[in-house]
Amino acid sequence: MLSSIAEKVYWLSRYIERIENTSRLINVNSDLLLDIPHDRSDDLMHLIQITGHLNNFKKNNTKENVYFFLIQDENNPSSIKYSIEMAKINSRYLLTMLPKSAWEQFNNLYNDFNAKSKPHSEDLYRIIRNSQRFFAIISDGMQRNDVFNFIKLGRFIERADMLSRIIEDQILRKENHVNKYYQNLQWSSVLRSINGFESFKKINKDNLSQEVILRFIVMEKLFPRSLKYCLEKLLEVQRFLPKSSTLKKDTILLLKNFECEEIYRNDKKMLNILDDFQSGLIKIDKIINKNYFN
Amino acid sequence: MKKTKDNNNNFYNEYIDNSNNLRKNFKNSYNFFNDLSSSKKKLLANVRDSIIRSMGITFRVYDHNKLIDREWPLDLIPRIIKEKEWTEVKEGLIQRIKAINLFIHDVYHKQEFLNENPILKSLILDSPNFLEECKGVFPKNKIWANISGTDLIKDHRGKFYVLEDNLRVPSGVAYMLENRNVMKKVVTDLFNNYQVLPIDDYTSQLYKCLYDASYSKEEKKTIVILSPGVFNSAYFEHAYLAQQMGIDLVESSDLFLSKDNYVFMKTISGRKRVDVIYRRINDDYLDPNVWVKDSVLGVPGLVNSWKEKKIAIVNAPGSGVADDKAVYAFVPKMIEYFLNEKPKLPQVKTYLCAFEKDKKYVLNNIDKLVLKPVNESGGYGILIGPNATKKDLNNYKLKIIKNPRNFVAQPLIKLSTSPTLIKTSIQPRHIDLRPFILSGKNTFVTNGGLTRVALKKGSTIVNSSQGGGSKDTWIVN
Repeated sequence: MLSSIAEKVYWLSRYIERIENTSRLINVNSDLLLDIPHDRSDDLMHLIQITGHLNNFKKNNTKENVYFFLIQDENNPSSIKYSIEMAKINSRYLLTMLPKSAWEQFNNLYNDFNAKSKPHSEDLYRIIRNSQRFFAIISDGMQRNDVFNFIKLGRFIERADMLSRIIEDQILRKENHVNKYYQNLQWSSVLRSINGFESFKKINKDNLSQEVILRFIVMEKLFPRSLKYCLEKLLEVQRFLPKSSTLKKDTILLLKNFECEEIYRNDKKMLNILDDFQSGLIKIDKIINKNYFN
Repeated sequence: MKKTKDNNNNFYNEYIDNSNNLRKNFKNSYNFFNDLSSSKKKLLANVRDSIIRSMGITFRVYDHNKLIDREWPLDLIPRIIKEKEWTEVKEGLIQRIKAINLFIHDVYHKQEFLNENPILKSLILDSPNFLEECKGVFPKNKIWANISGTDLIKDHRGKFYVLEDNLRVPSGVAYMLENRNVMKKVVTDLFNNYQVLPIDDYTSQLYKCLYDASYSKEEKKTIVILSPGVFNSAYFEHAYLAQQMGIDLVESSDLFLSKDNYVFMKTISGRKRVDVIYRRINDDYLDPNVWVKDSVLGVPGLVNSWKEKKIAIVNAPGSGVADDKAVYAFVPKMIEYFLNEKPKLPQVKTYLCAFEKDKKYVLNNIDKLVLKPVNESGGYGILIGPNATKKDLNNYKLKIIKNPRNFVAQPLIKLSTSPTLIKTSIQPRHIDLRPFILSGKNTFVTNGGLTRVALKKGSTIVNSSQGGGSKDTWIVN
């Protein structure tokens, strides 16, 4: 498989996963806002914090401005609009690489989003559904070839990255101000934003404590949006890729860090591990770049 | 709808004869469409559009500086040609491309034909399409133009003429193939009514042709299509052909040369040697070390590698030398010279102003002729005598007198028409035909080709970028 094609597939997949994650994050948090008895927009600012582009946000932090920045601002590299356009550019090269129905489905997603001048909550739900449909076609109807492998690689790296940011953000917010009653609400909204509330409840009927939730989000190997699951998927793909020994080593290392029991009870240690995790992902991305795209 | 005759029998109508009767083979097709109610016609058009959309058959155009994908325009009324007639055309095309390939080889080697035609020789040596660097190169089987598309038209009596030979990077074949796939789905019953010769083996023939062009003795060969990239108007075709042949579609940044001048492509498992490049970029951009210096589309050193027979390039660089209006005039002579045969397929009489006698004739009859500059393509600088003002004609005369070698002239050929669905009515529109010819160990001609139709009333401009459409071409027995 051509290096240039592998790179485009990888990024197409990352961008679509990012679009879905960001949409879900925004939707869950706007639901949450309704429950918290004060309409303070800095409750939304942390969303920008999660996407990692707080420095680019220069406007007043009104609800409108924050939503515009996150959804439609073409100049914000973490906005949905930006990701969709970047995905489109990559997709142009992949006309013949993806199953036809997947290609069509991506175009639906693109056209759907761009048809709305000001997307509302239900439009974000549609984005989520469109993205899910795209990945469903891939997992259901695509040959397990190199293209498939790079889609998987991009998707789970992106998902792991976003997960670690959400956890980090929630721990930091708790430290900052919000009172204890709403903490539980916030942790359950974290579960919702990764589509994990119901799965979590099945296992833990009455314990909504941070420790239990964290353990679930990080280490629950049967839940597809846990960090462990993402990393194991990465290891799974790496088996099929050439020159992947350093990649494997680094991925296993990341996974090991989370096996330490202490971190689930010690915010500070968890934050350190999450920091290492994010630099670890950047390193993995660099290795992928060097190994396959150059 | 009434069967309308074209004005004064000026044009050959492919469905209806001069006494306003349907030609024998066309009855079924004509009646099929004529009997459809308006709503049924609309319905079929909708089905067609949704199939084209879901198959992603598009072409790219710039509209207000924005790149957009347009859906490919296909008219549902097929262009029908009898197999017997087509067999003759096919033979003519094979003969023609054989002679042209021998001519190109001669141009870059002994120049015997040129020496016998000194005026042509001086035209060629001055032509920007003649590439000094190609002298002495031996492409496999002495074939330079492996893939060509020859534009054919029918005159007012319904006889096929060659209008133009496209020997550089002719496009359109993917649309020919997809037109058929769409037609089979939309007008299945009508299609079954005729015994239409299949066209779908083109891509396997193309693969064979590319395979045979390789210098490498290995049985397994790596063949790629080199495209200028997604912004090219024919990108759909590049991607389509690569997919159908199961080979990689590359851009220049995917390729590099090793120290010993072999061509490699970058893959996720490391570098991989390339044996054949089917290039879809023009000669000038192929190698920045040799031609256009700031070309980012090409690969530095590619031409050297080619000259050392370490990579095959299809079509060979330099084959454009025969893709020229002055050279066109000499093709009948080439056929006699190289093959010792009489031309089987007529071409449009061409006056070369470089010849004193022709120049005189052109100047005296300028208002009856179509004037063309020699080194332009895409319809630039053309003057249609019968439609031109006196002033334009006089200006053109001055240009010819000043630089006669730059001009050729041809009588105005009246393109034939075919009934075409315009919204819900059936109207005659002008058409041409581009069959595709593959030359290697053997020569292969498509059954039919891409019929292009000028959708605007009275227009003869068939280019898709300028409001042209297309038709599926049925060779029937």
